[in-house]
Amino acid sequence: MIEQYLLAALGGSAVTAVIALTAHRVSRAKAARAPHVEANAQSDELSAAIARQDSLIELHQQEKRELEAMLDQLRDDLRQQTETAETLRVSLDAASADRDQLAQHADRIANEAQRLKGLGATFERWHEQMISLMTQNKDMHAKNQELSSIVRHVVIVSLNASIEAARAGTAGRGFAVVASEVRALAARSEELSKSYRNSLDLSDLTTTATFQDIQAGGKMIAASLSSVEALANQFQSKLHQATT
Amino acid sequence: MISSHAKDSFERIFRQAAQSRLTVDPNDVCDITPLARDDENVDSEGDVVVLTISSIEFRLILVLHFKEDSSTRDYYVREGSDASFQEVFLEVCNLCCGAMNQSLHEYFPDLGMSTPYVLHARSVTHLDQLKPAYLASHAVTINGTVQLSATVCVCAYAPIDFVANVSAAQETGGELEFF
Repeated sequence: MIEQYLLAALGGSAVTAVIALTAHRVSRAKAARAPHVEANAQSDELSAAIARQDSLIELHQQEKRELEAMLDQLRDDLRQQTETAETLRVSLDAASADRDQLAQHADRIANEAQRLKGLGATFERWHEQMISLMTQNKDMHAKNQELSSIVRHVVIVSLNASIEAARAGTAGRGFAVVASEVRALAARSEELSKSYRNSLDLSDLTTTATFQDIQAGGKMIAASLSSVEALANQFQSKLHQATT
Repeated sequence: MISSHAKDSFERIFRQAAQSRLTVDPNDVCDITPLARDDENVDSEGDVVVLTISSIEFRLILVLHFKEDSSTRDYYVREGSDASFQEVFLEVCNLCCGAMNQSLHEYFPDLGMSTPYVLHARSVTHLDQLKPAYLASHAVTINGTVQLSATVCVCAYAPIDFVANVSAAQETGGELEFF
């Protein structure tokens, strides 16, 4: 009986143990299966996160490349701007130097024009010499007038001599020849005196016209030089205003 | 060398200057008639006043012939004046030539004018010796009593062609100081 009871108890225990073992295995299997699923899910999430990260990294790298390209472009632009600024600075320096040079030229032109206006005094001096020449011409006119008067007197004297020679008859023939010769000489002298007067009149006109032309030309040049001087001063003044 | 327009312009410029400057009063009547330049019309008696206007292209010689008779002297020299007839007449000639100079300045920017000089009238008979491109003489009668004559002689050194616009406003313009 006891054996039966023992067998029964052993049998019960064995069944219980088998059941417990089975339950334990099931439970273990369940316990073992749950982390695996969770690990798979986490693995998926991690993969997705990694993919997102990769995508972000790719995006950032793209942005980085773009920024680097932009930076290079900006560097190029800056270099070009620097070069342009340098060129402009050199040009400005050159323009400033040119402007200073132009101002100096304008100053020199104005000074030269001012100096050359002194030529007017030279023309006036020539004009005064014309007055002197004309005074000499007047003196020659007076002397020629006196000569003409003497010649006219000689003509009268020679005529009287011819008359007296005629009165003397044959005795006066020789004297008549001399009187006629004197009259002929007087007539030639009179012609010469008229011709000389004409020459003096022509000389008066050409001398006056020439020296007046010189005097008027001198005034014309002086007026032109005044214009040049005024223009040079205006130019200089504008350059000065541009500087300030 | 001088176009017909230019000759006509010189003539009109002279007429304007003579009418405005050879008269003492603007209301005086100034008749200007052309004179043929032959021996009969060129008066070689008395004196002439000579003035020159010079430019790069030409020189113009203005010759004003006068006789110092009583009517001429009384017209130009006012009673009580201390100036001699010649002084007054030289100034009148100066103003006349100055008016021509001013008119010509509109067409020729570079001009200069001489001071007047008195010559014997016989010298005028030799103006042809200067080889003028334009030579014209005029009888000038003021108020029917004052008899003058004027000769305009232009020697050209370049082709000259211009048309002077001598306006009525200039003819009646007031006294201007040219010198």
